Amino acid sequence: MSLRYGILGLLAEQPLHGYEVKTRYEALFGGTWDLNIGQVYTTLQRLERDGLVGEVGERGDRGKQRYDLTPAGRDALHDWLQTPEEEPPQLRQDIYLKLLLISRLANGNLDTLLARQRRVYLQRLKDLGELEHQARRQGRDDLVLLVQGAILHTEADLKWIDVCADESRRAAHSIGGTHQ
Amino acid sequence: MTQVIELTQVSKVYNGGAAQTALDGISMSVASGEFVAVMGPSGSGKSTLLNMVAGLDRPTSGRVCVGGRDLTGLSEGELAKFRRTHVGIVFQFFHLLNDLTVLDNVLVAAELAGIKRSAARQQATALLARLEIADKADVYPAELSGGQRQRVAIARALVNRPPLLLADEPTGALDSRSGDQIMELIAAINASGQTVVLVTHDAKLAARHAQRVISMSDGRIVDDAVLEPAAGTRSLLTFQREEARR
Repeated sequence: MSLRYGILGLLAEQPLHGYEVKTRYEALFGGTWDLNIGQVYTTLQRLERDGLVGEVGERGDRGKQRYDLTPAGRDALHDWLQTPEEEPPQLRQDIYLKLLLISRLANGNLDTLLARQRRVYLQRLKDLGELEHQARRQGRDDLVLLVQGAILHTEADLKWIDVCADESRRAAHSIGGTHQ
Repeated sequence: MTQVIELTQVSKVYNGGAAQTALDGISMSVASGEFVAVMGPSGSGKSTLLNMVAGLDRPTSGRVCVGGRDLTGLSEGELAKFRRTHVGIVFQFFHLLNDLTVLDNVLVAAELAGIKRSAARQQATALLARLEIADKADVYPAELSGGQRQRVAIARALVNRPPLLLADEPTGALDSRSGDQIMELIAAINASGQTVVLVTHDAKLAARHAQRVISMSDGRIVDDAVLEPAAGTRSLLTFQREEARR
């Protein structure tokens, strides 16, 4: 996920110093994202180097420096927000590689892997359901939408596991039939 | 722990034209107090499984025990009596009697089970209050929303204090908000000790509320997963850290 544009988005609301960026970013995601403070400072320095943010005001407590968006930073953020996301690289996750290898190495018997993967997805659905419930209780409608997106993706992953399992059974059945 | 349901090598073959295997050697058990979801696509056998447990259908082979009773050898009359006293069933389309008020819909089930009217009325009124429809006791089903009708159906299912509550797609005919409320109610009923078996094709519902999810396909159980309690935010942080380590 782009921390670079996340920081630009937060600074578009008001100037912030590094630690404020960290806490606001984490609050934005309802506590589901743990941000490393070192990563925040490194990203701020790079944004400053690229002319997208600039220091503002005097250094405060313990040398804390606030940053604000430059006009170029505001344009870059606007362009990024208006650009649709490309499809995620769906076929590059480890689970796909495992399936391809097991299909070749274990006589095509995917049952164990699929059962374990199904449990992971079910548990994720349970956790996301609780998170959606929490977000609703807190009146965080934006976070609810985010979690609903994750839930829909996980439901699709589960359906795909079912498709793989059906195909695996059909293949095993037809091999059994051929040998009879 | 006491087993409320015990199925041993249960098969069901329908012989209309070409023989069709709806259940293929199912063995499973459900302990008292559990909330188990049975999941699977249409035709996977999940509703047939529920019908076996409810005593609404008989297996071609195998043994079905519910609440300590072996249903296999029961006569039709004995099965009907078993259903009235041992299981409460909630269906997708409510199945309420439109000519009876809400209270009478609940009372009919109690009277059929031979419970005295005064005791039945007390239990029915308490259930309607718990399900937050006490003010609808004297109205007819046609005047209720889908969510309210399903609450009446749940009250009817529970009025005889059955050891087992079976729910077959209980939110299938409801909008998502009413469906969520019905599921929260069923979860609360389970939290008070009621054993619940939920049949659904909805993975989100199954995972959200059940402690255990049985997945079915082609009449067989393909997975029986016990889930951890929901971890919400914490689990996603863990997930993020694992991603970061890669």
